[in-house]
Amino acid sequence: MTEATDLAERAGDRDPRIGLRAVSALRRLLEQLEAVQVRSARNQGWSWQEIAAELGVSRQAVHKKYGRQ
Amino acid sequence: MFERFTKDARAVVVGAVGHAERLEAETVEEQHILLALLDREASRGSFALASLGLAGRGESVERALAEARRRGGLSRADEDALSGLGIRLADIVSRVEEAHGEGALESESRTAGRGKGWWSGLVGGHRPFARGAKDLLTESLRVAVAQRDRHIGDEHLLLALTARPGVPAEVLADHGVTHASLRRVLYGEGEGEAKAG
Repeated sequence: MTEATDLAERAGDRDPRIGLRAVSALRRLLEQLEAVQVRSARNQGWSWQEIAAELGVSRQAVHKKYGRQ
Repeated sequence: MFERFTKDARAVVVGAVGHAERLEAETVEEQHILLALLDREASRGSFALASLGLAGRGESVERALAEARRRGGLSRADEDALSGLGIRLADIVSRVEEAHGEGALESESRTAGRGKGWWSGLVGGHRPFARGAKDLLTESLRVAVAQRDRHIGDEHLLLALTARPGVPAEVLADHGVTHASLRRVLYGEGEGEAKAG
């Protein structure tokens, strides 16, 4: 079908482009998922400290990233 | 740079802000510039799009962009790459939407550039341009210079947009508009090979 589909079908070829593309996509998906979960936790009254502990990062890091929302 | 923008290119920048407002996006992104490009009539860019068969297919493009937003801003090529890892993006989207509501994964660009750009006087808005959109505007200048054009028109914005990886270029390619096909209809490049195919 599309070139991309074709690329995906050859994922077993060890073509670095496919692996790197997947990593990049996964990273962006992760960012979106994190935003959804942090927003949900805040809506349920979680503190930044609690959220940071679950994510395994510092409270400042979470607050800096999502604090304005 | 701004004074070199044609009337149509300025209208695209202003139009992009309008689309970002309509879609309630926090920043003006490349997809909003694409939507504004599709609004143009009787411009070099719109003639190029029309000759590639895109006239009247704006809704189809808009729908494809909306689908990508719902997937967290990931393109179909991204989706295919993830499926190569055994990750089904569609499953993730539907599970997240079950738990957090429809459109929960809709992407919000968190990468607004700093400060106001040279175009802020032009559009007078408070909505910042995302980094990708800023880069696109800068890139359009480079395209015009490489083409030895003294102005920056909407055709240069289109060329810059299709030269960048990402959802807007991919959606355009799905509608038959690629960087190469644009260069062909705008500048007659690669006509010989095109006829062979």
